[in-house]
Amino acid sequence: MIRRYVITFVFIVTVNFLIPRLMPGDPFLYLSVEDGQVNTSFSEEQTAYYRSYYGLDQSLLNQYIRYINNLMQGDLGTSIYHNVSVVSLLAARFPWTLALVLVSMTLSCLLGVLLGSLSVWFRNRRSDEILYTTMIILSEIPPYLAGAFLLYFMAAKWQWFPLSGGISPFNEFSLSNAGAYLKELLWYGALPVTTLVLTRLGGFYLITRNSLVMVFDKEYMKTAKGKGLTTARRLFRHALRNALPPILTRYFMSLGMVFGSAVLVENVFRYPGIGRLMQEAVMTRDYVLLQGVFLLMAVSVLLMNLLADLLSKKLDPRVS
Amino acid sequence: MAAKIKTIWHRFTLGGKVSLAIIIGIAAMWMLSPMVARHSHRIPSGPVLEAPSAVHWLGTDDLGIDLWAQLCHGAGASLQIGIGTALLAGVGGSLLGVLAGYHGGKLDQLIMGICDMMMVVPQLPSMIVLGAFFGAGRSNMIMIIAIFAWAAPARIVRSKIRSMKHDKYIVAASSYGAGFFHLLKTHFLPGILPLVVVNLMRIFSHAIVAEAGLAFIGLGDPIAKSWGMILNRSLNFPGIYFTAYWKWWVVAPVAFLISLMLALAMVGRDLERVVNRKR
Repeated sequence: MIRRYVITFVFIVTVNFLIPRLMPGDPFLYLSVEDGQVNTSFSEEQTAYYRSYYGLDQSLLNQYIRYINNLMQGDLGTSIYHNVSVVSLLAARFPWTLALVLVSMTLSCLLGVLLGSLSVWFRNRRSDEILYTTMIILSEIPPYLAGAFLLYFMAAKWQWFPLSGGISPFNEFSLSNAGAYLKELLWYGALPVTTLVLTRLGGFYLITRNSLVMVFDKEYMKTAKGKGLTTARRLFRHALRNALPPILTRYFMSLGMVFGSAVLVENVFRYPGIGRLMQEAVMTRDYVLLQGVFLLMAVSVLLMNLLADLLSKKLDPRVS
Repeated sequence: MAAKIKTIWHRFTLGGKVSLAIIIGIAAMWMLSPMVARHSHRIPSGPVLEAPSAVHWLGTDDLGIDLWAQLCHGAGASLQIGIGTALLAGVGGSLLGVLAGYHGGKLDQLIMGICDMMMVVPQLPSMIVLGAFFGAGRSNMIMIIAIFAWAAPARIVRSKIRSMKHDKYIVAASSYGAGFFHLLKTHFLPGILPLVVVNLMRIFSHAIVAEAGLAFIGLGDPIAKSWGMILNRSLNFPGIYFTAYWKWWVVAPVAFLISLMLALAMVGRDLERVVNRKR
């Protein structure tokens, strides 16, 4: 199983290397292109110089080895647009996204488990059906639409939350007013977190509900009911514990999957995470930065999936 | 064949029937757009940012182009990409699944290995990277979304074929000398056809969502204005929320997108229910 992840990692790194080199066109074709009029080009010796500088005159294999070498030393290149090292940009932005993802997934999981348990409690009654339908509709709404919706109502119209950003750009913070800093962070992060929570809530609800229903069909639940235990005790003490493994696995896999949604949500709220960094890189065609961000995201997702696999094995050894 | 379609239609819930009508309505909106939309979708035909009126049914955008005409034409872009991806990934993935399930051994391991990798890799960021590098024309979009979408149907079809392979009539047929193609045509296809149809629906809706998401970031085909592109332009308009323009410029594409997605999801669920019941 570890072998599968290693192979996937090598595959991602190789694809990351190959993609810009498979692109049609040549980076040194024109120095600059004015609108249809004057095309300045590099001279022969300039082209040769730049080719050797970027290592593009060597064979593909040599370039690949150089790329892997740089990667091992933690050098992901220099961003074309920002002109600083890619690693420094990623290090500055990644904690924002990580915090966003962790907080929102934990909240989503807790809320989903709660709602799923409620749904099983009120099984076959009207409230269960209404909840089920609402959750299904909620799970179909894509994250950017939910984000735009929340942004309009809560930020623009009613002005409960700030419109964009991760922190107020004007205040100075230090250790003395760390409490105020934390409050600002929470205030700015509330809407993105809410959007991500709503996006994944349907999934957690459904899997909790299904898992609990399957557990309730087991024999030991009949025994518990026969013993005369209350519904609450049966649900929370006996059933939920046994229903937990798929939910936890889903939690870790969501940590991986939500990186994709985080790209869209950070774009809507202009939250300073790596999702927005990726979108900026796309808009400015900063390929070096784009590769770096993609590599970071892919590695994070792989790690989360690996954690999910290990955890599911540990929680329920019967799973093959 | 017609009888089968009739039974499926009868077994749909009311929600499923309404959703199917919505989908057909949107397709008609696109195909009949010269008749339904009186203005051009490319040329300004009225004042800028006009509210919905009798002349422009859904108002105009910031270039004065009629919004209803843009939506009609954009439906075509979204639907084409959706159908193209569904056919490519659905049929292609199912074919690969059949090959993997039937032959087994090394081919199976290879195909399933690639399948695993495609499912583990983060889909939206990869699509963004590929879209940024290879440009975002319509056929590029189809291929980019299909690269990640074929994994799920391949897996499902493969497990079905693997269980079918041991059925007595298949064993008997192959003992009479039935080759791969005969088995495929006569025996496998009726078994996997319901699965393939349900998967096609699912990939269709996933492709529309993915394409709208990519267009929202800015990686859409700028010529064929799909709904995601219209939304991108409207949400990037400075101060869109503090004016009244969002009421038609943002709400209209959002409403159409959400209704299409919900309709597709509903039809997909109903199809799945009907297909599984016949078993």
